[in-house]
Amino acid sequence: MSEQHVIQAEGVEFRYRPDRPVLRGVNMKAQAGRLVCVLGPNGSGKTTLLRCLLGQLRPSAGTILLDGKEIERHSPRDLARLMAYVPQTPRSAFAFTVGELVLMGRLAHTGLLGLAGAADLAVARQAMIMTQTLPFASRMLEELSGGEAQCAMIARGLAQQPSVMLLDEPTSALDIRNQLMIHRMMQRLAHDWGMAVVCISHDVNLAARFADQLVLMRDGRVLAAGQPLEVLREDILQQTYDVQVELIRAAQGPPVVRAT
Amino acid sequence: MTEPPSESLRSLSAGKLVRDGLILLIATIVVAGACSMFGVARLTGNVWRMRLMRLATASAVGVALSVAGMALQALLRNPLAEPYILGVSSGAGVGVLVGSILAARGLLQSGWVNTPVLALAGAVGSCLVVYGIARRRGRLDPYVLLLSGVVINVFNGALMLAILKLSRSSDIINFVGWGMGQISDLTEASLLTVCAACILAGWVALFLRGGWFNALGLGDDVAGSVGVPVHHLRMETFAIAAIMTASAVALAGPVGFVGLIVPHFCRMIIGPDHRRLALFSGFIGAMFLMLADTLCRTVGEWVNVGSVPVGIITALAGGPFFIYLLRSRLKETSA
Repeated sequence: MSEQHVIQAEGVEFRYRPDRPVLRGVNMKAQAGRLVCVLGPNGSGKTTLLRCLLGQLRPSAGTILLDGKEIERHSPRDLARLMAYVPQTPRSAFAFTVGELVLMGRLAHTGLLGLAGAADLAVARQAMIMTQTLPFASRMLEELSGGEAQCAMIARGLAQQPSVMLLDEPTSALDIRNQLMIHRMMQRLAHDWGMAVVCISHDVNLAARFADQLVLMRDGRVLAAGQPLEVLREDILQQTYDVQVELIRAAQGPPVVRAT
Repeated sequence: MTEPPSESLRSLSAGKLVRDGLILLIATIVVAGACSMFGVARLTGNVWRMRLMRLATASAVGVALSVAGMALQALLRNPLAEPYILGVSSGAGVGVLVGSILAARGLLQSGWVNTPVLALAGAVGSCLVVYGIARRRGRLDPYVLLLSGVVINVFNGALMLAILKLSRSSDIINFVGWGMGQISDLTEASLLTVCAACILAGWVALFLRGGWFNALGLGDDVAGSVGVPVHHLRMETFAIAAIMTASAVALAGPVGFVGLIVPHFCRMIIGPDHRRLALFSGFIGAMFLMLADTLCRTVGEWVNVGSVPVGIITALAGGPFFIYLLRSRLKETSA
């Protein structure tokens, strides 16, 4: 497993308005072959952090490094070859088929018009097989269930052949079965495909079960980061979420968190 | 899970685009030929020349407004966006009107340089105002954008009326038809050449961005993540759409709703791929405006009132179509 591909935030600060900082000196790192879940209450700065990692927002202080190089120094095309993004809600303003959407992941690998060749079709096909979306190739995104649509968006990300995959609450609108499926898929991307996967999540237990590392945020700061067994402590969780929690020890794996 | 046949994952090929382009070019030439012969039994040399100039003007205006409309709809992810509705056309109209009045008073030399340049200044000015009003936190609110366009249209309309009021009556008579969007028999060849060159260049530029427009449909963040330089694309597209619209307005005045009707008609036929859509919108826009203008010219000849402004037909067709699209969109968002 390669340790080469890494995305990291170093002392990142960001503010939409001068008097209202959203991120305050955030440090985090995701290495190849690791699934990192970012947790925290609403408004803690998780999505802003993800958009900074993605290069869509420029931090007011600190740096984002992708493979050791500042993210601003990568061209949009190079960035798309290294890093993919899956949004919270799969949507398309135009009535494209799932196959066409997945092929859009090849834009950074094709010429000016984005015309896909045989090699691009093969990559897209492989991504769809991996995510079990090939049977839906000729269907529209809105004809799919929430889980299927999210898989299609992950397939589009995989078609980019990235080293880093960023996902913004990909399971927020899904049932338990689809939540498990997406988390297993993210784990496979990290462990079997060697990607650095960063996922924003609201489900502490699912994140703890599947992630290699958890990052807990509150008020734009990282309160704790580390392996699930290190981070899942009652005091840290209470400080993060402002609620009383109980940890139920399991025979193996991380404890189950229950709000009381 | 059974695997479907490999045909289910297909990509657009260069060969298909070339084939589409050739078929559309031939169809446009056939329509132009038919329109040129329609209406008058005997065509003398002068009438031929005027008619061909008129058809060339109509096709250039049709290409400009249709392709600019398609690009604005893609960029703003809003099926209701269009140069006329967003106030770009009326902004260009103010520019042309100012230039014409100054030229009529001998303060400015009229011609192929001043008219497009002033039209462009008006179009860009309106674009900047509409964009500035609708932009919040780096995102554009689609409904604020449309409302801003409506307000700018009213404002530009008032400006045009004020300019006309302050001008001499001999100048006003020329602007009555022009203000409704009229294609003239007497377009200056130099003006047509400059404007057509701008329109053609804009068409090619927007066609080449078709793949990026497709990705924009997935949202700015996703489009950026697949390699689309979203901010630059937005600036470039607004600039190109303004240049194309300004060229169209310099040639024929503010012709409304072409940028709404044609791209939607094309979408219904060929689907949402903007690489094909840019080709189809351009050629079908040219055909649409040649046919509409031929109808106006013929009706004008029949009822002996001279040429009827083509903008009347496009507005009569486009107004109800706009309401239909607005209601469809409201249903979609409330569903």
